Amino acid sequence: MRRFVLLSTCLIILFTLFLQMAFAQVQTRVRMIQASNVGSNIDPSLKDVTDQLGSLFNFSSYRLLKDQTVTLSPNQPVSIPVHPGRSLELTMTKQHQHTVEVRVRIKREGTDILDTQVRLSPGRTVAIGGPKHGEGVVIIALSAR
Amino acid sequence: MKNYCSSVSRLLAKYFDQEVTEEERSLVESHLQSCPGCRDALHSMERVRILIKKPVEEAVETEDFPWVWEKIERGIQLEERPTLWESLRSWLDLSHLLKRRVVIPVVAAVVILILVTTPLLFKKTTSYPSPSVVEYVESPTYNVMVYESENSKMTVIWLFEGPEQEQSTS
Repeated sequence: MRRFVLLSTCLIILFTLFLQMAFAQVQTRVRMIQASNVGSNIDPSLKDVTDQLGSLFNFSSYRLLKDQTVTLSPNQPVSIPVHPGRSLELTMTKQHQHTVEVRVRIKREGTDILDTQVRLSPGRTVAIGGPKHGEGVVIIALSAR
Repeated sequence: MKNYCSSVSRLLAKYFDQEVTEEERSLVESHLQSCPGCRDALHSMERVRILIKKPVEEAVETEDFPWVWEKIERGIQLEERPTLWESLRSWLDLSHLLKRRVVIPVVAAVVILILVTTPLLFKKTTSYPSPSVVEYVESPTYNVMVYESENSKMTVIWLFEGPEQEQSTS
């Protein structure tokens, strides 16, 4: 009986750890886009973004600079270099039923130039843009997977 | 045996087994020279010893002791500790627990445990009623515009560079 209880306890602990590991992590897609009025090339993989941004901005060209999926764990910051001297730091702060709250910090030479907290949900994209990049601007599109 | 000298006859067996002291030995030997009855008794003891010794020695010679040792070794090997895998298998053998009076309460306990723990594991804080995607936004260097629409699948945080930024970037 003691043996069975011990085995059951071990299995339950492993099951719990597995569930916590599996369900506490969130896959987040980060796309770095250069939008400009130089040329009229639109990257086909950015169709979902350009359809939405097209109604707000008059950029004629959208070029994908980086497409990366990161795994966010609760309160574990993940840093991605996005531009020379700049980095994007993502931290999952809360997890809701259908959304996750992510703190987004863009740093330039170690100093925050943007600090925001957004809720990511499947099918919804958060675009952060504006800073100049070459002849256009850079847009960072975040979406939860 | 009736003619034995009673005083020496008690020592005769000890003498035969060479367990007497020097003094006793001298006593017995001097007596044996003068007592034929005791000498006969001593001879009888020697004959008996020869009668016993011979078959015992023959039996020892014919007995196969190496075979006996092999048998002992096999017995020891059989009693040796099981391998790790065998130990694990025996440890994991729960067949004796599969009795009805054990299984039913254990299964019930496990089911209750799962029912209690699973909702806790999957419990997540309820979604905010507000459709707002951006909870807060701060920027010490940029002017910020947030465009958020319920119908749109996109939320935009746009950073406008101020005059100072424009100068530094250009």
